[in-house]
Amino acid sequence: MERLPAFELRRASSLAEAIGWLAGTPGARAIAGGTDLVPNLRDGLGSPPVLVDLSGIAGLDALVAGDDGVRIGANVTLARLASDAALAQALPAVVQAAASIAAPGHRSVATVGGNLCVDTRCVYYNQSEWWRRSNDYCLKHGGDTCHVAPHGERCHAAYAGDLAPALIVCGARVEIAGPDGTRGIAIEDLYRDDGRAHLALGPGELVAGVVVPVQPPRARSAYRKARARGAIDFPLAGVAVRLSADAGRVASLAVGLTGTNSRPLRLAGTDAWSGRAIDEALLADLGKAVQKQVSPMRTTLTQANWRRQVAAVAAQRLVRELAEAIA
Amino acid sequence: MSLPDRRDPPPAAVGVRQPLVDGVDKVTGAARYTADLAPRDALVGAILRSPVAHATIRGIDTSRARAMPGVRAVVTGEDCAVAYGVIPIAQNEFPLARGRVRYRGEPVAAVAADDPATARAALEAIELDLEPLPAVFDAAAARAEGSVLLHDDKPGNVERAVEQTFGDVDGGFASADLVREQSFHYAEVHQAMMEPNAALAAWDAERGRLTLHSVTQVPYYVHLALARCLRLDESAIRVIKPFVGGGFGHRTETLNFEIVAALLARAAGGTVRLELTREETFLTHRGRPETDVRLKIGLAKSGAITAVEAEVVQRGGAYAGYGLVTILYAGALIHALYRVPASRYKGFRVYANTPPNGAMRGHGSVDVRHAFESLLDAMAAELGLDPFAVRRANLIEAPHRTINDLQVNSCGLAQCLDIVERRSRWRERRGRLPRGHGLGMACSHYVSGSAKPVHWTGEPHAVVNLKLDFDGGITVLTGASDIGQGSSTLLAQAAAEVLRLPMSRFTVFANDSAVTPKDNGSYSSRVSFMVGNAAIRAADELKRVLVAAAARRLEVHPDDVEWEGERCRVAGTDRELAYKEVVTEALRDTGTITAKGAWSTPPETQGGRFRGAAVGSSAGFSYAALVAEVEVDEDTGMVRVVGVWVAHDCGRAINPLSVEGQVQGSVWMGMGQALSEETQYLDGLHARANLLDYRVPTIVESPPIDTSIVEAPDPNGPFGAKEAGEGSLSAFLPALTNAIADAIGLRLDALPASPDRVLEAIVARRRAERLRRAAKPVPQGAD
Amino acid sequence: MGKRLVSLVVNGRLREEAVGDATLLLDFLREQLGLTGTKRGCDGGECGACTVLVDDAPRLACLTLVARCEGARVETIESQSAGGRMSALQAAFHEKLGTQCGFCTPGMIMAAEALLRGDPAPDEVAIREALGGNLCRCTGYVKIIEAVQAAAGVGTPGDAPRRADATQATR
Ligand SMILES: Cc1cc2nc3c(=O)[nH]c(=O)nc-3n(C[C@H](O)[C@H](O)[C@H](O)COP(=O)(O)OP(=O)(O)OC[C@H]3O[C@@H](n4cnc5c(N)ncnc54)[C@H](O)[C@@H]3O)c2cc1C
Ligand code: SF4
Ligand code: FES
Ligand code: FES
Repeated sequence: MERLPAFELRRASSLAEAIGWLAGTPGARAIAGGTDLVPNLRDGLGSPPVLVDLSGIAGLDALVAGDDGVRIGANVTLARLASDAALAQALPAVVQAAASIAAPGHRSVATVGGNLCVDTRCVYYNQSEWWRRSNDYCLKHGGDTCHVAPHGERCHAAYAGDLAPALIVCGARVEIAGPDGTRGIAIEDLYRDDGRAHLALGPGELVAGVVVPVQPPRARSAYRKARARGAIDFPLAGVAVRLSADAGRVASLAVGLTGTNSRPLRLAGTDAWSGRAIDEALLADLGKAVQKQVSPMRTTLTQANWRRQVAAVAAQRLVRELAEAIA
Repeated sequence: MSLPDRRDPPPAAVGVRQPLVDGVDKVTGAARYTADLAPRDALVGAILRSPVAHATIRGIDTSRARAMPGVRAVVTGEDCAVAYGVIPIAQNEFPLARGRVRYRGEPVAAVAADDPATARAALEAIELDLEPLPAVFDAAAARAEGSVLLHDDKPGNVERAVEQTFGDVDGGFASADLVREQSFHYAEVHQAMMEPNAALAAWDAERGRLTLHSVTQVPYYVHLALARCLRLDESAIRVIKPFVGGGFGHRTETLNFEIVAALLARAAGGTVRLELTREETFLTHRGRPETDVRLKIGLAKSGAITAVEAEVVQRGGAYAGYGLVTILYAGALIHALYRVPASRYKGFRVYANTPPNGAMRGHGSVDVRHAFESLLDAMAAELGLDPFAVRRANLIEAPHRTINDLQVNSCGLAQCLDIVERRSRWRERRGRLPRGHGLGMACSHYVSGSAKPVHWTGEPHAVVNLKLDFDGGITVLTGASDIGQGSSTLLAQAAAEVLRLPMSRFTVFANDSAVTPKDNGSYSSRVSFMVGNAAIRAADELKRVLVAAAARRLEVHPDDVEWEGERCRVAGTDRELAYKEVVTEALRDTGTITAKGAWSTPPETQGGRFRGAAVGSSAGFSYAALVAEVEVDEDTGMVRVVGVWVAHDCGRAINPLSVEGQVQGSVWMGMGQALSEETQYLDGLHARANLLDYRVPTIVESPPIDTSIVEAPDPNGPFGAKEAGEGSLSAFLPALTNAIADAIGLRLDALPASPDRVLEAIVARRRAERLRRAAKPVPQGAD
Repeated sequence: MGKRLVSLVVNGRLREEAVGDATLLLDFLREQLGLTGTKRGCDGGECGACTVLVDDAPRLACLTLVARCEGARVETIESQSAGGRMSALQAAFHEKLGTQCGFCTPGMIMAAEALLRGDPAPDEVAIREALGGNLCRCTGYVKIIEAVQAAAGVGTPGDAPRRADATQATR
């Protein structure tokens, strides 16, 4: 019973080996937990000749807390992240996001690297081969028009990974390893606003890990996910907030969003709110800013406008709750 | 096997919390479902499905596929020219489309190959030449003037129009103190039973015989359809239902893949396993149709119903299936829950280019019940009546004959109401919850088996055989399909109760047409009632034989034998015989004993004489009352069910454990439809044909369900029992929206209450209120 | 593509088997080893029916490549009963009617087993979390929760049902 297209599985023992295979084999893909890749391959979304298994790479699953923050290796599983007591103290948004992803059977094997690089989603894309063919495929895979925005040039499939917004508000940087060595970038720079090619990774490049700096002393963070059911579902909108406050005033505020655009977003303009009282006026401005900056499209069967509204509501509530917790 | 001490009182079997007789197999993984049975060398079947919603088939070129190595058979509509369908007068479906395709996903060809990859490649190699036709995807478009016709003999795409009037409707409305009318819309839902569809067909070419294992709830109907479509004598076919992973009405009719598997097996001359994907299982659809209801109710000040008028439009999909029964149920079951003195019903079952609908749990009754209980609730509020009071003002007192000739012989609704009112602390809490929290209630009912079977053969409705052999073990032979609802357990309990023997003496053997008596199958909650009665009669018969044998040995008259199961005694003496001794005596001249019991519904319960009167008629009605507590987030539209209290009148709980399980499962399935489940088509393409987008509730958001059993015994029911597996489902939907109304003052008229719909309704109301305020200057002092 | 040899321990037995690179653990268990207790309920990752334990953690066999299970310890529902006797979880699912049609049950029990190994006395929230990815269409989950609580000895004791002594003949 082969349900997957044929491929050759190669188990890499080092990053260099994995990078070499990925760079040297056109169409080759990395597989970490496989909880995103395997369903997609079952749907006929790609037929890589080679899958490079990252799970045997020594050291890639290290989770190390140091003086300058936490380094989370790409192979750290979500289950481990979600149950780490020290991290729950230091980076609650990240831990809450990890715990909210899919279900235990996925989280035991799904990785941080895989979650950051999870494919974008769309109701016209996450369908079987028969379905997509019957619908003349689409721009993202195999076709030439977008059914969501037929007159546009791009794909609007939504990025719906949960970790990214949490890592964004915590100021994380991604370590990228590739044929030309290793580079580090702010996590939001890992993404591009293009549902067809949402990762700013060059050929053969891999996420090696994330480094989250030590959080400011009075900062608190949290993550909230809007979805129809209490488990399994991807976020229809997901919001992370990190707030530090002083006597009821914003010291710093960061808001990260997922599920609404082809990339995770850092809400722009929050710096200008430093010093403002955390009151209804601020929350109203926050709500407006979120509604303005997100751009959910008809990529889900749940109404796009609902995703916009709940993103705003979630952001407001998180700020209010965090402010109360700090006070 | 440990047998009870001879001095133990004879065990009671009925009323005992009895785990399932096949439960051990299920929890150990030993239970074999259809997909678990394939022999290693079985060929792999696969189906090619139509990519378009409506087209004329100009040709299907299978030559390349046939030429591929490893391909053993290719079949198309050419290979079966006989239409099938569950209703003998409405058979218009072919296992593989002929001439025309009518929905996206309709099977057009199938292959059997050595392995899955070859089968897939063979499907790729088949060329379809389709000439597209215009397509219609909803009932309004289908009925519109000049619309393309799906079936040439059905003008306006109306499969069946029903018009029924009982009593003085106009007079009823005229005499009412309050008349209200409202329209409602219900999304289509699907059973989404956990086991995907699968069939295993074996063709014995030498002897011209077919054996089919399938996931069906109705092996007998499958048997008939196979004989019909393959033009085989019925005796050349053997149908076996192994363990089945749920059905809920998806499998209450023969499904295309079952016939396709058989066609492939015959064409290949071998054994074919055909396992559908989850997506294909969704495409086989057979769920509850998209439905529009327009409802009008008249109430007196007392709350008494004076008249009801309903118009129901169902989008039934591309083929007839159960369609005409569904649209008749929708009207018939307006009755028999409350006293309704006058009613007018118009129903339209409409064809459209979507997968065909079927007989989903609560068949026909669910959406109309929501409309009814919602409008009733709103009107009660207008009259200043409590929701419980308005229901109590309309209770049926059994025996009662409804104006549409349904015979109600027992009704425990009054007790159901009392129980849920008390257990939910309704009186203390209703109206005193914080904003956003609400309590709502509703009632429902259902038939315990349709009083007239679909195939009228003149045979009894149910037959059970009991086989007693040298070992003293009794095998219950039944064709009733246990698909998880516990019917096998119930039959063993019924026989054990009559014979007063311990359950350990019984083995249930079910659903093998070569061995077990024919049974119409598991649908419309007929099994406990009808087959249960047959089991009792079979056990009575066996007991008669055993008592006679005991009397012979004891040399007394049978009337003098006191039967206590493991032993029997000459009345008033201490002369005893052990069970095994009685068995030896009973078998002495005859050998193995088979006792038979049969049962049919009493004629007075079979409905009236008007056209369509059989639908809704039942030998017994179950009743339920339900309270739901919700929390509504007005900023996001998210609805959380905090708690559910349900009381269900099942007549007599033969197995209380099982009744609770059935009721909880029903209520919860109602919750799925009410909150999150819906199918949806994009130009006829099923866009939610997976378990991420078809949102079956998870354990995380599923509420506790406080479950009470009410026993208003039915004179016709086995030990007084009635159905337990469907009736409480439809109470949940209106209880939920009534609770939402209590929480935030908003009455939803469309389901599911998905967060985006709820928020949209909240926003629309705010907008309307703003407009109203702007239009009417607010008087001084008001806020 | 060719096959490779993997060695893994399935239900305590060392297996050395030739498997395809693209073969899923689910199909390996069902088709190659004949362990059909593990079920397929969806087209990939959405229902939990295929839940097994890999090195004590819950895993979806339908998303797992068996070629990546070299050296792993895999446990399926068939491993639960020892010497033909049901485990505490199995007995509780049976007696509390945590199973109706039974199709979700193997996955449910294995997910619960994973929970109880890490948390022998879980509260209700933990039980719901642990079974969040396992859909059941029959029970409404009420009796599933009761079953897990009973197995863990943390439930509110109800009136104990008796074991089924009657049987169903299976083919
Ligand atoms: C039913 C279901 C529900 C789900 N729900 C959620 C949810 O709620 N939230 C959510 O975020 N996700 C969800 N997912 C998706 C997925 O399970 C998770 O995102 C998971 O974290 C992916 O990690 P993985 O290790 O399994 O990734 P894989 O599947 O192994 O990989 C995913 C992608 O990332 C690439 N990749 C993997 N590792 C690296 C690396 N180190 N560097 C560069 N590229 C890499 C792969 O090539 C692949 O393209 C769900 C999936 C399913 C099936
Ligand atoms: S947004 Fe458009 S291009 Fe992108 S996946 Fe959806 S339909 Fe295809
Ligand atoms: S079969 Fe559904 S999750 Fe694996
Ligand atoms: S018992 Fe049937 S799906 Fe759970």
